[in-house]
Amino acid sequence: MKLDLSALLPDSIRPKAPIDAALDDVHLPGPTGANFPLPDVADVDSFERQVVEMVKPSHGTTTLSFIFQGGVIVAVDSRASMGPYISSQTVKKVIEINPYLLGTMAGGAADCQFWQRNLGIQCRLHELNNKERISVAGASKLLANTLFSYRGMGLSMGTMVAGWDHKGPSLYYVDSEAQRIKGERFSVGSGSVFAMGILDQGYRWDLSDEEARELGRRAIYHATFRDAMSGGTVSVYHVTKDGWVKVSGDDVGELHYHYYPAE
Amino acid sequence: MVIPTEDGGFNFDLCKRNAFLGQQGVKGPSVLKTGTTIAGVIYKDGIVLGADTRSTNGDTVADKNCEKIHYIAPNIWCCGAGTAADTEAVTGMVSSAMELHRLATNRSSRVITAMTMLKQHLFKYQGHVSAALVLGGYDHSGPHLHSVYPHGSTDTLPFVTMGSGSLAAMAVFESGYKENMELEDAKILVARAIEAGIFNDLGSGSNVDLCIINKDGKDYLRNWKCPNERTYRHAGFTFPPGTTPLIKKNMNTAYCTSLPGLSALVEVSDGPEPESMELA
Amino acid sequence: MSIMSYNGSAIIAMVGKDCVAICSDLRFGVQHQTLATDFKKIFKINDECYVGLSGLGSDMQTLRQRFVFRHNLYKLREDRNMKPSTFANMVSAVLYEKRFGPYFCEPVIAGLEPDGTPYITGMDLLGAMAPASDFVVAGDNTESLFGACESFWRPDMNPEELFETISQCLLSGVNRDCLAGWGGVVTVITKDGQFTRSLKGRMD
Repeated sequence: MKLDLSALLPDSIRPKAPIDAALDDVHLPGPTGANFPLPDVADVDSFERQVVEMVKPSHGTTTLSFIFQGGVIVAVDSRASMGPYISSQTVKKVIEINPYLLGTMAGGAADCQFWQRNLGIQCRLHELNNKERISVAGASKLLANTLFSYRGMGLSMGTMVAGWDHKGPSLYYVDSEAQRIKGERFSVGSGSVFAMGILDQGYRWDLSDEEARELGRRAIYHATFRDAMSGGTVSVYHVTKDGWVKVSGDDVGELHYHYYPAE
Repeated sequence: MVIPTEDGGFNFDLCKRNAFLGQQGVKGPSVLKTGTTIAGVIYKDGIVLGADTRSTNGDTVADKNCEKIHYIAPNIWCCGAGTAADTEAVTGMVSSAMELHRLATNRSSRVITAMTMLKQHLFKYQGHVSAALVLGGYDHSGPHLHSVYPHGSTDTLPFVTMGSGSLAAMAVFESGYKENMELEDAKILVARAIEAGIFNDLGSGSNVDLCIINKDGKDYLRNWKCPNERTYRHAGFTFPPGTTPLIKKNMNTAYCTSLPGLSALVEVSDGPEPESMELA
Repeated sequence: MSIMSYNGSAIIAMVGKDCVAICSDLRFGVQHQTLATDFKKIFKINDECYVGLSGLGSDMQTLRQRFVFRHNLYKLREDRNMKPSTFANMVSAVLYEKRFGPYFCEPVIAGLEPDGTPYITGMDLLGAMAPASDFVVAGDNTESLFGACESFWRPDMNPEELFETISQCLLSGVNRDCLAGWGGVVTVITKDGQFTRSLKGRMD
């Protein structure tokens, strides 16, 4: 069989494929991801419960996000655990949906990654159809609708959709129970109580950019210190009217001794 | 003052607490087991006992070269399988009772005495003391070989096996056992039986220990065969001094609340010379 | 959830040339929540004998008190310190007494015998001794600790080499364990004395 390597060739000499024919082969997911196949069993509910028992999603995480005068801060840790075992210290828990939208990951890693990528597709289709970027409210509602259609079937997600749209900075919390809440600050995951303590204590709407970034960083750091299931690195993202930037990624091993130098 | 630790016997103080924790959904901890192959045969002049040397904790090998042939008396030895603490404790208790018995009676120990003490203890605890034993010895009436089960039943046979590898070992005995074997043949047969357990049973492993008991005494052959020698791929890592970052602050770590020696607290003097007794 | 990993712990003891080392992590937590990061799990019994206790924190403290009590009685009676092997047998007896309602604690004993030979032994919670000539580990993540020790340990290390090796084993072990870590403490025992050092570990 001859391999089709044409994709590797430069544009100028690449043979043009008939676009219509190619499109026929592509199954674009519908707005609610309707072609996601369900398991072929009599009782989906109890089957899914068993599946969740077998592959317990990792719940150890700390993620936080808040809006302030300068935009949105999104900060996360990077640990993945299987029970008490640390399976990775370098997990990317911020999902870059598009240059103006970020999602965070808590609960099942695969569920979050898959459905937020699906959300990215839906957002792009919205842009192509409407000739303008989707609002954060709209994007979070697309995700919430998707999750509603799979409610009670074993998905496990606690996610924040954060971004900047025509109304300014905006933040929503969406989870696998299809709950969708608009708010000015959220924290999700096993370390969220610790992060929320720092966040509530230091939060003001008129925080400067630098103060806000440091607040996010500190809140996650303190959560990694107190919560066994959180750790690794602290990543901080900042969304402004020009889109998101990754501000910092600090190893907690060093960050602790930066905050509290050992003699 | 009553020192409760001097009472001896089991103590059930924590049972209620632990049962309560169990009710709260707390999983019980795992204990060291000797998922074992142990065996013994009677040969022409005495007994050959054999054991593997693996001790396990769950699915980890906790000790790669443990000793499973326990001392009971100079002429009686006992292979143990089951919960490590139980085999250790039960053989220890019997061996000290036997020593006291020897001192009291001024006679050498009999195998049947040890067996009876073991089975009475194990039966009393209805199998909860989980020790499966192969007891062998040579006393005034010749060689004796018994197997003792955790519930207290016993067998008296010319060749016995115990532990998770007992089926593999018994297969070797069933095909290879002969009456009135020479010592060398018996050693090889027992070693083959133990090796069958080492290689075919996951709970058994590492080396073969043998113990020969006859009228001339015992010959404890520790690691008589080592069919699983560990090979090292390289010499290992070295960390130059200063590799590990330290917190310099002087920590007064492990604190000690033990008393100073008695001689530091009191002065011991011999006192006045005792007057000698007069004998008429 | 196992009761042995309720509070989190990691302990290693290691043999060197004419010296032994024992170390523990410093975390005390209640399941996922870290409550203290200065909770030592190794205790000095005398100059030549240390004991490390892993498992449930409350039983750890009760047992330490009982061991010190028994050691004090021994000293009053004998006017000398227990040697490590004697101490280990005492620990084994104290644990086995509670065979049917055990303390949830796995001890590790390290020390030097009167003739200067290193002695280390591990034990399960019922008091089954497992003496070793290289290293013993205990805690809620023994797999990781075993892995590190199996590859880093080598025979005849001097006290400084032993310190570095046991420290690296502890740190690499606990860096794969959610429930242990937050710094460590190492004591090296030689015939000329002991030294104790605090390790700078990850605090997450």
